[in-house]
Amino acid sequence: MNKTILKSAFNILLVVGLLLIPRYVESPYALHMMILLFMSVAQGQSWNILGGYAGQHSVGHAAYFGVGAYTTMMLMHSKGVVPWVGVWAGMAAVVVVALIIGSICFRLRGPYFVLASIAVAEIMRLSAINLTPLTNGAEGILATEIPAFKIGATVVTDFVTKVPFYYIGLFLVLLTLAVTYWVQHSKLGYFFQAIREDQDAAHSLGINIALYKNIGLVISAVLTSLAGSFYGIYVGFVDPPTVLGLDVSVQIMLICIIGGMGTIWGPVLGSLILVPLSEALRSNMVTDLLVKIGMVNADSRIGIFLKENLSHAHVLLYGILVVLVILFMPDGLMGFVKKLAARRNREAV
Amino acid sequence: MAILEIKNVSKFFGGLAANSDVSFDVHEGMIMGLIGPNGAGKTTLFNCITGYYPPSKGEVIFNGRKLNGLDPDKVCMLGMVRTWQKVRPLAKLSVVDNVMVGALARTSSLKVAREMAMEQIKVVRMEHRTNFLAGGLPIGERKKLEVARALATQPKILLLDEVMGGLNPAESEEIIQLILDIKQRGLTQMVIEHDMKAIMRISDRIVVLTSGEKLTEGSPQEVVSNPDVISAYLGEPHA
Repeated sequence: MNKTILKSAFNILLVVGLLLIPRYVESPYALHMMILLFMSVAQGQSWNILGGYAGQHSVGHAAYFGVGAYTTMMLMHSKGVVPWVGVWAGMAAVVVVALIIGSICFRLRGPYFVLASIAVAEIMRLSAINLTPLTNGAEGILATEIPAFKIGATVVTDFVTKVPFYYIGLFLVLLTLAVTYWVQHSKLGYFFQAIREDQDAAHSLGINIALYKNIGLVISAVLTSLAGSFYGIYVGFVDPPTVLGLDVSVQIMLICIIGGMGTIWGPVLGSLILVPLSEALRSNMVTDLLVKIGMVNADSRIGIFLKENLSHAHVLLYGILVVLVILFMPDGLMGFVKKLAARRNREAV
Repeated sequence: MAILEIKNVSKFFGGLAANSDVSFDVHEGMIMGLIGPNGAGKTTLFNCITGYYPPSKGEVIFNGRKLNGLDPDKVCMLGMVRTWQKVRPLAKLSVVDNVMVGALARTSSLKVAREMAMEQIKVVRMEHRTNFLAGGLPIGERKKLEVARALATQPKILLLDEVMGGLNPAESEEIIQLILDIKQRGLTQMVIEHDMKAIMRISDRIVVLTSGEKLTEGSPQEVVSNPDVISAYLGEPHA
C-alpha cells in the first residue's frame, strides 16, 4: 500500500518535472535532445505492444512510421491541410495498411513473420521512391513552414521555438505509456501474452488468434504513425530512407530489445541509453572526451584518425552494444533489473 | 444422450491414414477412455475433434452441432476444451495468470476472471503455487495447471491427452483422484492414457485404436478380455 503511494507520487513528480523543464531550460539543443528522447520512447512503446506483449516481432514498423509521416506531410505540402488534421488522416491510412499487412503476414509464424514484415516495409519504401507524383520520389518532401495552431481565432502556438514540439512529444510519451498500461491491465494484455507464450495453447483456450494479433497490430501501428507524423512536422522533411528505411524498423525494435520487451518501463530505459549514445557517437563526443582528458593529442595521427573515423563507426559500436546486451541480458535491462531485485529479495529472506 | 458424436472420421497426411473411419459416441457425464499403442492416432483424433486439423472425411458433432472446419477457439467457446500431451504452460506468466487466460474466455472482467481462476486452482490443489511462474513448475504441477486452465474455460466436455504421462505413481494417483472429482461435478471427460491400470479404474467406456482404426469399444472388462486388444498391445502369440 505504502509502496504504491510512493510509486504514484514519484510518477506525478516526474511528469510535473518534465512539464516544467521548458520554463527553465532555454538551450534549444537540450530541448532537441529531450524531443528525440520522447520520440524514441513513443516509438519503442508502440512497438512494445505488438512485439513485447503479443510476441510478434515486426521488423517492418518503418511502414507505419513512414506512412504516418508521409500522409501528414503530403497533405500539408500539396493540399495545405494543417498537421493536426493530417495526423488523423495518417492514422486512418495506417489502419488500412496495418489490416492489409496483418491479414497477410499473420498467417506466418516466428521467423517467417519477421521476414514478411521486412518485405512489406520495403515495398512501402520502394513505392514512396517510385510514386513520384504523390510522394515527390527520392527527393522527399520539404515543409518550410508549419501553419500556426489556432483554436478559433486565438493562436495557441506558432511552432517557432522547440517548446511546442517538446510538449507534443511529452504528450505522445504519456499517451503511449497510458495505452500500454491499459493493455497490461485488461483482457487484451492477457490474451496478447498468451499468444506470445504459446499460440496453440492460446488458441485452445478460446482466443481468436488472428483477431487479437490484428488488434495488437492496429494499436501499435496507430501509435507508431503518430510518432511518424510528429517526426515529419518536427524535422520538416521526409524522404524514403529516413522514415521508411529498414534501419528505422531496426532502431524501433532495438529500443525494446535493449530496454526489455513486454515491460512498461523497458522502452523508456532503452531510449535513455540509445538516444544519448547515438548522439554522442555521431557528434564525435568520444574523441573530444579523449582529447580533453589528455589521453589523445588532437593533432597527433591517432587524434586525427579518431576524429575522422569514430563518428562513422557509430553504427559499429551500436552493433557491439546490441550483441553484448543480447548475450548478457537476454531480457533487456528491465529483465536484468528485475533479476537483481529478485536476488536481493531472496537474500533478504 | 450423446454429447459428442464421432462419425466415420478419417484423417490423411499425404497417403498415410492417421485415422480411418473412426466412429463412437461420448455420453453426458461419462468418462470415455481412448487407448492404443504408440502411433495409433489418438492425438490426431483429438486434433480433429478440437479443430486443429479439419477431418479429411466424416463428421464431429458436439451438442448436436457439426464442428468440421471450426477453429479451436470457436470449439472452446462452444464448451469443448483439451489439454496437451506435451504440456504448454504460458511460461512467463504466473500460475493464476495462466488460469485467468482460460477464465477470460467467459468474462471480460479481470476481477471475475481472478475469482474463477482461484476456484479452479483450488480444485487441482495448487493454492500454494498461485504466484509462481508457470515455467518453473515441476512436471506434475504443470500437468495439473493444464487441467485447471482448461477447467477455467467452463467446458461441457474436457479432453485430457495423457495427463499422467511422465508422472510418478503418487502424482498419477493424485491425477486419478482429480479426474474422479471432476466427474463427480458432472463434467464429461475423454481421456487418452497409456497407463492401463489407471484407465481401467477411471473409464466408464473405452475405445481402442490401432493403426488409425477403431479396434473395439466397450466397458473396461470387455476391452481387456478382448483377444484382439491383447494382440494389438503384446503382439500375436507364437503358433
